[in-house]
Amino acid sequence: MEMSLPLTFAAGLLWGAAAFTIVGALTAGLVLAERKVSARIQGRVGPMHTGPHGALQTIADMIKLVMKEDVRPARADATAFRLGPLLVAVPAILSLAVIPFGAPLVMRDLNVGVLYFLAIPGVTVIGLLLAGWASYDNYSFLGGLRSSAQFISYEIPRSLTVVTVVMLAGSLSTVDVLDAQATVPYAVLLPFSFFLYCVTSLAEINRLPFDMPEAESELVAGYHTEYSGFRWALFFLAEYAGFFAAAAFGAVLFLGGGNGPLLPPIVWLAVKTAALLFIGMWIRFTLPRFRADQLMRLAWKVFLPASLANLVLAALIMRALGS
Amino acid sequence: MTESQNIEQLLFVAFGIVAAGGALFAVATRSLLRSIIALGAFLTAVAGEFYLLAADFLAVVQIFVYVGGIVVLMLFALMLSASGVRHPMAAIDRPALGAALSYVIGAGVLWGSLTTDLPSVGAGTDDAVDALGRALLGSQLWSFELIGVILLASVITALVIVRRERR
Amino acid sequence: MTTAAVTLSSVLFAIGVFGVLTRRNAISLLVSVEIMMNAAIINLVAFSRLYEPEAMTGQVFALFGIGIAACEAAIGLALVLAVYRRFGSTDVDTIDLLKG
Repeated sequence: MEMSLPLTFAAGLLWGAAAFTIVGALTAGLVLAERKVSARIQGRVGPMHTGPHGALQTIADMIKLVMKEDVRPARADATAFRLGPLLVAVPAILSLAVIPFGAPLVMRDLNVGVLYFLAIPGVTVIGLLLAGWASYDNYSFLGGLRSSAQFISYEIPRSLTVVTVVMLAGSLSTVDVLDAQATVPYAVLLPFSFFLYCVTSLAEINRLPFDMPEAESELVAGYHTEYSGFRWALFFLAEYAGFFAAAAFGAVLFLGGGNGPLLPPIVWLAVKTAALLFIGMWIRFTLPRFRADQLMRLAWKVFLPASLANLVLAALIMRALGS
Repeated sequence: MTESQNIEQLLFVAFGIVAAGGALFAVATRSLLRSIIALGAFLTAVAGEFYLLAADFLAVVQIFVYVGGIVVLMLFALMLSASGVRHPMAAIDRPALGAALSYVIGAGVLWGSLTTDLPSVGAGTDDAVDALGRALLGSQLWSFELIGVILLASVITALVIVRRERR
Repeated sequence: MTTAAVTLSSVLFAIGVFGVLTRRNAISLLVSVEIMMNAAIINLVAFSRLYEPEAMTGQVFALFGIGIAACEAAIGLALVLAVYRRFGSTDVDTIDLLKG
């Protein structure tokens, strides 16, 4: 990596722009897919008018969002109000950097990649708190506090669950974890970890049945009640980028990512990620929402002990089998 | 000196400026909220310094524990201790005296650390994560276990302190 | 890079000292103490790399430092909340009662 200084910075900027574009396109696709899936489940047809079968609907929606007026409540704290959405969106995009998309597309093979993926979304909590606080509005504030409490609570069992994968692979690098699953994916070896990862991830990215922060029947729209236009679009982008990242990372950690016969790695990863995303949408339109106190009780009294037991058991079994 | 080493040094200085700027803003602003946000920027810049000093694991732990944990905790404390949705301000006492004293202390520390003669061994290892893991569960095992006990004790203490007394 | 690291750490330490000396709010004091802690940790990491690359003692102690900082923040902020409930302020100068 011998590069001159301006070239390094130019390359960095280019990567950043590319990542933003890719995430934008992904979000558009995901939103359309989600609307179509929900329509299918609820016996409707979904968006049909813009483009063939409504394919351009989200593009139109995005253009509409960006053109909208950016409204800020009169008594809001201006700095924090602007910083909130940025601190939510940027980490969500950054966390995609360590996902091994296939040979030419690993943006960065950090030797602490798995830990990086767990740590970076933690920064979004600051953004959520700031957005809720700065809006100067009770619904926003409650939504911000709720979502950060939820995030912190579910971060612990999720991290403890991922530790079992790290133990089995013997490395914190996502590429090494992938290589270790060349024959058997970890979902087969660690089925309980896979289940825990999926459920806690759904909770951590604030999706139904765990979308307390945005429970529209009680909190209007949670921490982004007061946001509009481009800043609101950033929250939206972050939500879907987080959804995608959790699914892609689940595919890498437990389903063997790009490993598979015949087809190139990127296709296999896409298929596995799409499967996980579909399950996430399916759950969203099938299960009812939890109540805030039930959610916290579930995190501390069920998932935390379960993930600890899972960790100890996995360690004991690995020790007994001597691998 | 190669080109990449040059870039590394430049980045080190750049992160250092961000860190010092963030720290200065954190102690100088009257707004508590901005002070905590500046602390977050400072901690992230320090994580960058760790990465440049071949401590990748520490850099990520810094983000995990400090930015994702301690800064969030401080924001929580700020929001729970503010009366209503108001932006709390904090006074600064006798800044001139504070600046003079801290200048003397900082200069003393700098003089002490620059004049102490330390033998140089050379560049660090490549796989720092592996070596760190071996050290934690090998030569430093007892301190590692003790840290666990201290963490547990502090969690219980914090819970006891904030628990509302029921009468 | 040692000189740069040591200089940075001294500057940050001085900034932390300035905060501790001039701020009267408990949360601000914690912010300043965290800055001083980080200044010390930078030194540990820099020396670990330059003088003891194999043993990793410096990095291990930096890790312990971060752990201790987390404990300190948890207890400190718990105290801030307890004080706020009793005195209605997080200013350390208002806490001047010897009995509760």
